[in-house]
Amino acid sequence: MTSASARPLPLPLVRHAGLAPRVWLVWSLAAVTAALASDNPVYRGLVALAALNVLLTWLPPGRNLRPLAVAVVLAAAFAGLVNVIASHTGADVVLRLPADWPLVGGPLTVESLAFGGALGLGLVAALLAVAPLSLILEPHDVVDAMPAPLERTGIAVATSLNLVSGFGRTFTAVRDAQRMRGWRPRGIRSWNEVLVPVILTAIEDSVLLAEAMEARGFGAGRRTSYAREAICRWDWIVVAGALGAAGLLIAARLAGTPVDWQPYPTLALPPINPVLVAGCLALTLPAFARAAPARPRDTGDRS
Amino acid sequence: MRRLAVTIVVAMSVAALASLAPRSLVPSACAAAGSHHAALVVEHGDGSVVSRCVAFDASQVTGEELLTASGIAWSGQTFGGFGEAVCAMDGEPARYSSCPGADGYWAVFVVRGGGVWQLSNVGISTLTVADGDAEGFRFVPSSGNPAAPPLPAGICAPASSVPAATPSATPTATGPATPVATGPPTPAATPKPAATAVVAPTVRPTAATSDVAAPGSVASPSFGAIDSATAAIAGVTASFAPTSSAGVAPGFDAPAPAPGPTPGPDLGLLAAALAGGGLGGLALVRLIAMRRSVR
Repeated sequence: MTSASARPLPLPLVRHAGLAPRVWLVWSLAAVTAALASDNPVYRGLVALAALNVLLTWLPPGRNLRPLAVAVVLAAAFAGLVNVIASHTGADVVLRLPADWPLVGGPLTVESLAFGGALGLGLVAALLAVAPLSLILEPHDVVDAMPAPLERTGIAVATSLNLVSGFGRTFTAVRDAQRMRGWRPRGIRSWNEVLVPVILTAIEDSVLLAEAMEARGFGAGRRTSYAREAICRWDWIVVAGALGAAGLLIAARLAGTPVDWQPYPTLALPPINPVLVAGCLALTLPAFARAAPARPRDTGDRS
Repeated sequence: MRRLAVTIVVAMSVAALASLAPRSLVPSACAAAGSHHAALVVEHGDGSVVSRCVAFDASQVTGEELLTASGIAWSGQTFGGFGEAVCAMDGEPARYSSCPGADGYWAVFVVRGGGVWQLSNVGISTLTVADGDAEGFRFVPSSGNPAAPPLPAGICAPASSVPAATPSATPTATGPATPVATGPPTPAATPKPAATAVVAPTVRPTAATSDVAAPGSVASPSFGAIDSATAAIAGVTASFAPTSSAGVAPGFDAPAPAPGPTPGPDLGLLAAALAGGGLGGLALVRLIAMRRSVR
């Protein structure tokens, strides 16, 4: 046996149809960091628009955006409303509720409304930034994208989250089955006939899942890998742009450059730095990676 | 259920409208001088001190009303049963996004009948001040025990020496160099109050507000008088020289545009507008294309 034959063969390269899952993970984390690194609504709005463009570009056919849109709108509205009714400061009073009303009593101001809007915009940007992890990637891609120390944690979390939807499906199935047997809801006690089978089924599913994972070696060591991920030029460009955007905002903050927006006591335009605007624009790079030539799914390379 | 919701909405609307009704000015009869007086001392974070003697007719007024009647611009936030807290006063801090601020806050003190400063445990809307009392504010760091401002002794001189405060359209800048307003009385240099004026016009300066007129001091019949008594206490003088304009409460008018060359377009704003417009347009195009492909 020669020394050349003793050397292990290099793992085949797997090229993804789009960006590599690890690149998506880095991009999402960077976008969330950029969205939350300041409370400046301009930067938050740009991050949200960049993430929306990326999402619309890469959204697989058949995926529905409506639940995300509803969640985004509700989160933004809730944040804005809470700030308006709880923060009674600012110069321009729109309405004055009696001061003895708990929490909501006091002046409601334009400034608190604007600041609430900025808070909501931050939530919108953060939600849109992490949306690709669930809407573009498959669950196993997310698990594979995690660093080795977090791999098993990721599997456990993904499995737990999967159980939530499984519980819902079981509940629907058991309730429909009971209805076909003539069951009708008559007060709280009548729900025992649905909840008890649902809980028993959920426990049974959990035991089955645990046995299946045990049989597949979960907890015995690292997952084996038959291929290594190919990182192409666009992957590097996207990673550099995302890290650059987050890094610029953090560096500006550390350097003392005005980044935050302070709406009180009177509304004023937020400070806007053209360099930071350009940094936020760099988060749109994944949208342009789509225009790159399509790559084959699996072109193993053992050379 | 719907009836309950309608009732709640109607009740909230009625309460809100009722609260919008103009409230009587507390020191309403204090056009020249009231029958009672209370001192107000404000010490900034840099040690500069502003003080006022405020006259009022009622037997007692709230700390909020006293502060508002003093003509010092301030901004506050309501904290439920605690009452109104001062977030910014006399331009400190110039801007803020949380109240109380992370770096410092306005601590409130009160003197009852010539005693010593006591830290108030209620907001200024709940705090009451009577004749001979004093209300004090000091901008203190967030950590540690708040130190009290200088004692208010001598701020409220006898009524005969207290000139009536009439809003002046002439900026006054007298005395030595001041930490608040130095140099010529240009709009940019003078009125901190103009930048932070938030007090509702219904409780604004119809009260007789007077700066201290200690013997031998400069006592101008305007908000802009120099408080020499305070200067003696703190070692600095504070000028307060807002201008006045029609339709705006005296002392709280907006500053006129600063003289000099007109600034060009803000590059950051331009970049943000272009970036936002471009990204928004692109997202719209993609959405339309997506809907068409679904059909």
